[in-house]
This record gives sequence, C-alpha cells and structure tokens, in this order.
Amino acid sequence: MESRILRPTLALYTVLFLLFLYGPMIVLTILSFQSADGGPQFPIREWSVYWYEHLLGFAETSRVSQLPVGDSLLRSIVLAFMTTVVSTVLGVMSAEAFRTRFKGSGPAFYLIILGMMVPGVLVGLGMALLSNTLGIARAWWGTSFVLHVVYTYPFAFLVMLAIFNRFDRTVEEASLSLGVSPAQTFRRVTFPIIFPGVLSAMLFSFTLSYDEFARTLFTAGRDLTLPLAIYGTFSVEIYPNIFAFGVLTTLFSFTLLVIYGLLMKRFTSKASRYSGQEDA
Amino acid sequence: MLTLNQVSRRYGGATALDGVDFVVPENTYMALLGASGAGKTTLLRLIAGFEEPDQGTISLHGERIDGQPSHLRDIGFVFQNFALFPHLTVAENVAFGLRHRAHAPLTNETEIKDRTEAALELVGLTGFGHRGVSAISGGQRQRVALARTLVCEPRIVLLDEPLGALDANLRSRMCDELKAIRERLGVSFLHVTGSETEALTMGDQVAVLANGRIMQSDAPDMLFSHPGNAEAARHLNAWNIFDASLCNHDLGQGPIAVRFDQIDVSDPGAAPTERPALHATYLTGEFNGPTALSFFRAADGTLLQVVDHLSQPRLPDLVEGQGYDLHFAADALRQFHGAA
Repeated sequence: MESRILRPTLALYTVLFLLFLYGPMIVLTILSFQSADGGPQFPIREWSVYWYEHLLGFAETSRVSQLPVGDSLLRSIVLAFMTTVVSTVLGVMSAEAFRTRFKGSGPAFYLIILGMMVPGVLVGLGMALLSNTLGIARAWWGTSFVLHVVYTYPFAFLVMLAIFNRFDRTVEEASLSLGVSPAQTFRRVTFPIIFPGVLSAMLFSFTLSYDEFARTLFTAGRDLTLPLAIYGTFSVEIYPNIFAFGVLTTLFSFTLLVIYGLLMKRFTSKASRYSGQEDA
Repeated sequence: MLTLNQVSRRYGGATALDGVDFVVPENTYMALLGASGAGKTTLLRLIAGFEEPDQGTISLHGERIDGQPSHLRDIGFVFQNFALFPHLTVAENVAFGLRHRAHAPLTNETEIKDRTEAALELVGLTGFGHRGVSAISGGQRQRVALARTLVCEPRIVLLDEPLGALDANLRSRMCDELKAIRERLGVSFLHVTGSETEALTMGDQVAVLANGRIMQSDAPDMLFSHPGNAEAARHLNAWNIFDASLCNHDLGQGPIAVRFDQIDVSDPGAAPTERPALHATYLTGEFNGPTALSFFRAADGTLLQVVDHLSQPRLPDLVEGQGYDLHFAADALRQFHGAA
C-alpha cells in the first residue's frame, strides 16, 4: 500500500534531482554543437562540429582566437599525475602506520585531515605569502604541487584507512608464519589485496588535483593550469569552443573512470574466476 | 620440544596468561583445551611470535625463540578462518612459503611444483591446484591451509581451532585425517580447541588451560578418569563438582567431583546406606540420542547432572520438582585439595 504511492514519488524526485544535477552539463553539450556563426546561447542556428574543429586547430582562421588550453592541459595532467603518485604513496604508508596505535596517533590523524578541511583560498594565500617571504618563485610544479598534495593526501589516506579497517590481518600473519619476511609479505600479500583501494585513492587524488582551483590560483605563478586557463578565457569573452572543450574533458574523465572500473572488475573477479569448474 | 617457562601476557588490566609452564614433547599430538576467552589463542600467538610475552621464556629445541621475528621462528600456524591468500590459486597458496620465504627460498620451478603437488596429495587435494580459493568448500580450504603450512616443514605446527569453522560430519572426518597426517610426518602438533570431545579424540596428550594457567597436562584417558583439580574436571564436561558437606557421609571439606555416569538416583531415603548420598530436586531432562541427561539442583543451589545410557537405563521415572537421593560408590569420587 505504502509503496504504491511512495515508490513512484521517490522515483520522480530522483529523476528531477538527476536532471537538476546534470542540467548544466546537458546544456553545455548541446551548445557545443552550435554552428560557426552562432553564439553561446539558444537557439541552435545549425548543428555542426565546427567548434570542435576550431578547438583542435582544424578550422580555418576565424575571428575567434584558438582556446589557449594546449600547454595548460598538459600542465594539469602532469601536475595531477605527480600529485596522484605522491598522495597515494603517502596515503598508503600512513594508513598502514595507523593500523597500530602509536603515541600521538590522535593528533597526527587530525593534522592529516586538516589538509582537506581548511579553506583552499586561505591556504593558497598563505602559501603565496610564505613563498614571497622565503623568496621562492611560485610555480605549478612547486608551490601548487605541494598544496595539491596537502589537499588530496587526506582523501587517499581516508580511503586506505577504510580499506585497512576491513583487512584481515591473519593473512599477513599466515605469510609470516611461512617464513616470509615482512617486506615480502607486504609486496606479495598485503598490496595485491588492498590494490582496489589503492586504485580508488589514485582516482580521488587525480580528479581532485585535476580541477583544483582556489589553491592553484594563488600559487601557480606565471604558467597556468587548465582550470585557471579556462577561467581566464571565460572572463573575457565566451564562444562555444569552450563548451566543446568542456565536453572533451568530461569524456576524458569518463575514460579514466571506465579504466578504473575495468581494472577494478578484473581485480576483484580474479579470486572467483575458476568458479565454473567445480567438477575438475 | 617446545617449552614455555612462566609465560605471562597482560592486556591493559586484564591478565590473559599468568605464568604458564607448558611442554610439548617431540612427535606428539598435543591438544590444548580451554573455554573461550581462556587465552588459548593468545598462547599460540605468543609461540608464533605475532605477540611477545610480558614475562617468561619460550624455547624450541632448547633455543630461545621469544623476541625473534615470527618469520624466522620456523613454526607453522593454521588459522581458525584458514587465512588463505584470496588473490592466489590453491597451488600458489601452497607454494607461497617455498617460493618467498626469507630463509632458503626455492627457485627451481620443477621442485616447487613437485613439492606443492606432494603436499596437496598428502591432504587429499590432488588436481585442485588450479582452482581459486573461493571456489572450494570449507573442508577443502582447511586442507589447503594445512598443506600450505606442512609443505614448509616447520619444527612444530600450531592449530588454532582448525575445525571450528567446519560442520560436525566434516569435523569428525578431519579429526582422523589430521591425526594420520601428523603421524606420517612425525612433527608435533599443538591443537587448540574449546571442545572436550575434540581434545580427547585428537590428543596423544591433552592439556587444560584455565585462569591463565595450564591446569593439567596428561594422556586423554588419564585426564578423563583422574582430573587433578576442579578446573580440569570442569572442562571435561563429564564431572559434577560440588561441596563435600552436601553428602550424608563424612567426606571432609572442599569440592569433590563425581562423574555424570557414576551417580545413581533413588527415592528419598531409599539410597543404600554404604554409599554416600545427597538430596537434590529433579529439574528437567534432556534427550541426546544415545544418552539422556537429567538435571538436579542440590540444597546449596549447585547444578548436578546424571547421564543415562539408553541401552542400560538405571534411573527411576523422575517427576519434575520432586526431591530424590543421588548416591554414588565411595571410590567414584575425586577429592581436590587446596584451592580449586
């Protein structure tokens, strides 16, 4: 009785919510197929892929200058990659440390978590002032990189902490009892088992770093990362090429997500891959 | 020979082990019986080196092993939950120790393969090597865990309630197999369990752990017929322990024990005068198949049990709530001196 009314209502609410959530992205996608003489608004004068060609430099010269995203895109990817590696390694190591209680583990925990709690604008500003005081040049690969790690490391740490929380310690002890050293045990037993978690931590770190704005704004110095470059063009003049770019970056993120999903599936199904051969 | 000398372990304020003296002789199946929470697992973990004792020494073949890292102790451990490596196949699980151990790892693939197969054959799992560990049954997992440990030829094998996760049928079958495998290898097994039947069936020797100490360590028949103290008797789940002053004969002071099957029941006043007797109220009966248990409450509240074998019934018809005389032969009782 209850579900006859409740379920459709909840379903409708969910659909509306999802529409609201993805509305901006849908609008952006539609507008990216605007024709060459159209602007960044409805109606669509004519469907075309002109702005995609324009973005990638295939279109003939036009009054609109090409979006200056090439270098910044590369910078953002490199920065996100560096951040991912460092944050994940730190996250795994510190989560491993937190499996046993040690002196000062409480304060250490909150100090790590603080990195994702404090407002980005403040840390960015603080870092900018500090680097000025110390006479260190601001750069995306230096000052920004440090802040990206400070920001994403807590996420990687928390993910790994959750993974280790469910981790069955006895398999490590089993390995030790077989005469395998602690280092080899980590490499051969612990790491393969926590690997899905490591992938999640990497995905978190990458996506968070890839479109980080506030911290980067204050600390990137002269060479801009992608979010800063896009914001730069956005504040001057808008053409549909920026929408085309938005669609492409979204596709890129989806690709990462799909790769993540495939790796995850491959890894978690590995243990049961022989289930079809019961009567061997 | 494994020797524990005055081994103690505390967790915060709670004492798990309190000066344990314990010897596991060579080539012996030693069963360690204890209630849950008695510190059985702690004892094994100390021997294996997953934890260190607060006091006391542990030595194997005369060489001290406490303080040594666990991977250098050369002690096998079979876990209650099997603790198989979920990301490896059965064969990879068994070969794991041979391949990756710190001391003298094998590099010759043929040798690894041969020894793995020999170990799987020993536990009756020939042809299962390629399977994933999630694609085999509980009993098979248990055997893999055993094969994985035995293939490394440890100096002693510790088994932490290895049959706890198996159903009753499988348990009794694994009991026989464990014994047979051990006899073939000639290595000592230290098998921890909470089940007195399992301990008495399996062990060449049975030790009782209670209150953080080894209460008694003896051959199973010896332990069963002559428990040395009230704690040991209590763990065998076959002895009534009650105060001597409850009986009409003068049996002295302190706790005495009489086995469930050595007590007879008669109507009040009808007990033979030469046999010690005590008065108790019949509470209820429990039918267990080949045997039936009757529960009585003595005057001071002690619960007494009498077992009756269906083939040789010796109890009168009992009415719940009615008083009866429970009597036994004077030589059937065991008297414990000192603190129980």
